[in-house]
Amino acid sequence: MSTVGASTGQLREHVATIVVAALSTLFAVTLILGTGILTAALDPALIAESGTFRLVLLMVSVIFIIIALYVGAIVTANTFATVIAGRTRIIALLRLVGATARSVRSRVAAEGLIMGALGAVVGWGLAEALAFGVTRLGPAWGWLPEGREYPLFDPLSFIAVAVVALTTWAAAWVGSRRVASVSPIAATGAVVEPRPEAARGRSGRSVWAVILIVSGCTLLALGLVLGFLTPLGLFVAFLGGLASFTGIALGAHLIMPPVLRLAGRIVGRGPTGALAAANAVRYPERSARSTIGLVIGVTLVTLFAVALDSYRSMTLLAFESDPAMARALDQTLSITTGIFTGLVGFSAVIAAVGLVNTLSLGVLQRTRELGLLRTLGFTGAQVRRMIIAESAQMTIAALGLGVALGIGYGWVAAQSLLGSQVGLAPPTVPWPVLIGVVVFGAVLAVGAAALPARRAIRLSPVAALAAD
Amino acid sequence: MVALVADLGKYYGDGEQRVHALDDISIGLARGQFTAIMGPSGSGKSTLMHVMAGLDTPTSGRVWLGSDEITGLGDAALTRLRRRRIGFVFQSFNLVPTLDVRGNIVLPFQLDGVKPGREELARIDALLHSLGLADRVTHRPHELSGGQQQRVAIARALATQPDIIFADEPTGALDTRTGREVLGLLRSAVEQSGQSIAMVTHDPIAASHADRILFLADGRIVADRGAMSPEQISETMLGLERGAAAGLGERA
Repeated sequence: MSTVGASTGQLREHVATIVVAALSTLFAVTLILGTGILTAALDPALIAESGTFRLVLLMVSVIFIIIALYVGAIVTANTFATVIAGRTRIIALLRLVGATARSVRSRVAAEGLIMGALGAVVGWGLAEALAFGVTRLGPAWGWLPEGREYPLFDPLSFIAVAVVALTTWAAAWVGSRRVASVSPIAATGAVVEPRPEAARGRSGRSVWAVILIVSGCTLLALGLVLGFLTPLGLFVAFLGGLASFTGIALGAHLIMPPVLRLAGRIVGRGPTGALAAANAVRYPERSARSTIGLVIGVTLVTLFAVALDSYRSMTLLAFESDPAMARALDQTLSITTGIFTGLVGFSAVIAAVGLVNTLSLGVLQRTRELGLLRTLGFTGAQVRRMIIAESAQMTIAALGLGVALGIGYGWVAAQSLLGSQVGLAPPTVPWPVLIGVVVFGAVLAVGAAALPARRAIRLSPVAALAAD
Repeated sequence: MVALVADLGKYYGDGEQRVHALDDISIGLARGQFTAIMGPSGSGKSTLMHVMAGLDTPTSGRVWLGSDEITGLGDAALTRLRRRRIGFVFQSFNLVPTLDVRGNIVLPFQLDGVKPGREELARIDALLHSLGLADRVTHRPHELSGGQQQRVAIARALATQPDIIFADEPTGALDTRTGREVLGLLRSAVEQSGQSIAMVTHDPIAASHADRILFLADGRIVADRGAMSPEQISETMLGLERGAAAGLGERA
């Protein structure tokens, strides 16, 4: 086994990591180059202020880049945890012939660094190509003013590449912590079915999650009440939102399994539905990790959309007496909502990659079990239905919770900012965004299941039963 | 006859490299009999079982289950056939990990979309009792010992009262004592309820529980005997291995 280890099997396992690194870098470098291009496109008359303008744009961009990196890191850590679960035999063999847990883990993390760097370079290339295309075609097609010097390179973009590669490395290290718990005995093949992941060493984390959620919700309520007196209520609510959301991400292993079980009831009954429901919560930690990324992404999208839309409608309410002013405001705020939602939406796309990957790796690792099911009388169509139901269950759970949280947070944000001016107002739900989320989810659920399902059915029961 | 194959051939590859997994096999398994299929590794015994059970398709020849020909049946038809008319017991990894003991046993019924009837439920309960699993019905596979898992697999195979049960090295992963218990259970299913069983094994002690023993070598049936003692079986097997080694010498 070489350190690079670029055998086909390993590459397949790392596709998600490469894609996530590439998407994160594409996003970050596009934003960095985009701010430069936008600044250059400004009216030269305003050139004196363009430095400040660029700084503000960059600062806003950095927030969105950090969100994308954070979601990407969660996805990568989870991908590696799944990869480790599938490599138990090989790791046990390495341990058997004398490798220390630490050296195995470093090697796995090094794979993360290589894949992260590879993805980051690809993402950088794509972003540069995009910038090149836009600055070439932009002036000709009238998107950008002509005769300007548009910068195509930015030293900051190299920092982005490095940060993505290093983040992937760190995420791989975090995700591979279960290497230590692989016993060399597992190499002998005596282990038939791994026991469900033990929930040990989690109590400290659970306590922190509960503390953060409770204190966060208290602050949210306080911010809401303060909001009726002063717009500064938003700051209190913001802190509350930060605390409670961190608590939710930290306590995913407590929150997601019940949500998944609830979603499992929707997915259906019968042997296919029941098995799918059981599979989705089979490794509660793994399911929690892979769905929480999507929950975060969807919550942020919904949060921005609801907050800005509620803010818009409340502001319009305040300017009812001045129709001209209201119209101008309406336009600006609609554009802002669209841009912010789109930028945050990118994190949801990264999270979706993670969900697709967990599902397909999970199916790959269950080859033998699917062979058993086929032998016992599951038709190909039933196996496909089972995998789609599993996928649907995870997607519904993540989207449902994300939308609910997003509407709640978004409403508290708008209310605590404007409560002093307009009183109590219900949240404005931006339907186009919600419909977009639902369509995205449906495509995701079926699309994520399509490939692994096809592979699972193509394999003959005999071949599947012989799989390791 | 509960299972029948005629002129069965299964080949891999072509021309010079053509490998005969099964070479012109014609046999019938009698109803209510315990048949052992023996042979050295690579003799084709597992392939024969897979073809008879509709898990694998032959290159040539015909296969019947009871009076129904299954050669050329599509995947869906074969799948439905396996649900009720064939039982399976493998060496290991017999059970669906996410289902408890009862869930595993009733799975073949549920797949048809039909809940097990009163009579079938009573039979399942009786099976659970007689196999000593009554206090384990809500346990999941990882909470059971290897022997208990194997008993659950036997209970599942018996529950649907299939035409025939195919057992592939059912004692291969068990210690001697537990293995003997499992063989005793299979034997009593044959004696008490006339269940037909075909068991693939390379263990002479396991094969000595059978009424009839088929010996395979290089994809052919080389001996077809009645019940034998473990010693006689070992001797026959040794003879086969020597013959195979000699054959290899001639070819080289």
